[in-house]
Amino acid sequence: MSNIILMAHPTFGVLAILCSVWVLAETLNISAGNVSRVRLACLLVSIFIGLTWILGGYWYVTYYAVEKAIILKGPWPFAHDFFMETKEHLFFIPLILAFFLPIAAKSDLVSSKGARNVVMATAALIILCGLAIEGAGATINLGVKVALIDTSHKQAE
Amino acid sequence: MSQTQTHDIANSTAAFGMAAAITIVFNTVFAWVKDSYEPLNAAMKAAMGHHWITHGVVDVALFIALGLILSNSAKAKSMTGTALVKLLVIAVVIASGGLAGWFFLV
Repeated sequence: MSNIILMAHPTFGVLAILCSVWVLAETLNISAGNVSRVRLACLLVSIFIGLTWILGGYWYVTYYAVEKAIILKGPWPFAHDFFMETKEHLFFIPLILAFFLPIAAKSDLVSSKGARNVVMATAALIILCGLAIEGAGATINLGVKVALIDTSHKQAE
Repeated sequence: MSQTQTHDIANSTAAFGMAAAITIVFNTVFAWVKDSYEPLNAAMKAAMGHHWITHGVVDVALFIALGLILSNSAKAKSMTGTALVKLLVIAVVIASGGLAGWFFLV
């Protein structure tokens, strides 16, 4: 169960990033015909980031302590000290932006350039933060991997 | 010839956009304080079982509360989309840089 949650967490994060790209593309080509799709995509970003928060949060508070101990004994302690510590707090930035996005999309997007810019800037910030967080997650996983490889090398010697 | 910027976004967008910017910066300051003052960290753990859960709930609650409070403010009724974009970008750059810098140095 732990591994399923661990896989679902970044999967929903990637889905949120993809939906943010969808928001950007639809908003750049806004018309009366696609404004409802923009609002749907904004809502999906919010839902997917919310799921990422709940699943990642559950895994973090329930299972991460074991991995943290492994990382800190290995050759990449910065995978926790820098990447995890930054990631767990940085995550709240796209979370807040994702909850704001459907509210921003309620403005008159078709006739107001300013309203469109707010939606596009918010989506772009979610994408940038999301990619940074996905990269940090990969580095944390690698921190566990190099620690375990290091341990098995020492045992083999 | 200069053009006067007009209010071109919904009041709720302006209010919750400002709330998001404030909450994002608060999140970083909260992380600094929590990380350097153990009694706060312990109190947050005691409140909801883990400091990170309390941190997230406080952030979301602050965002909602500020958004509702600011909805009737004069600023929400006059802010332009361009000004809100600048505010959000500056908040995210300062807050994310502040977090990365803090955990790099500490």
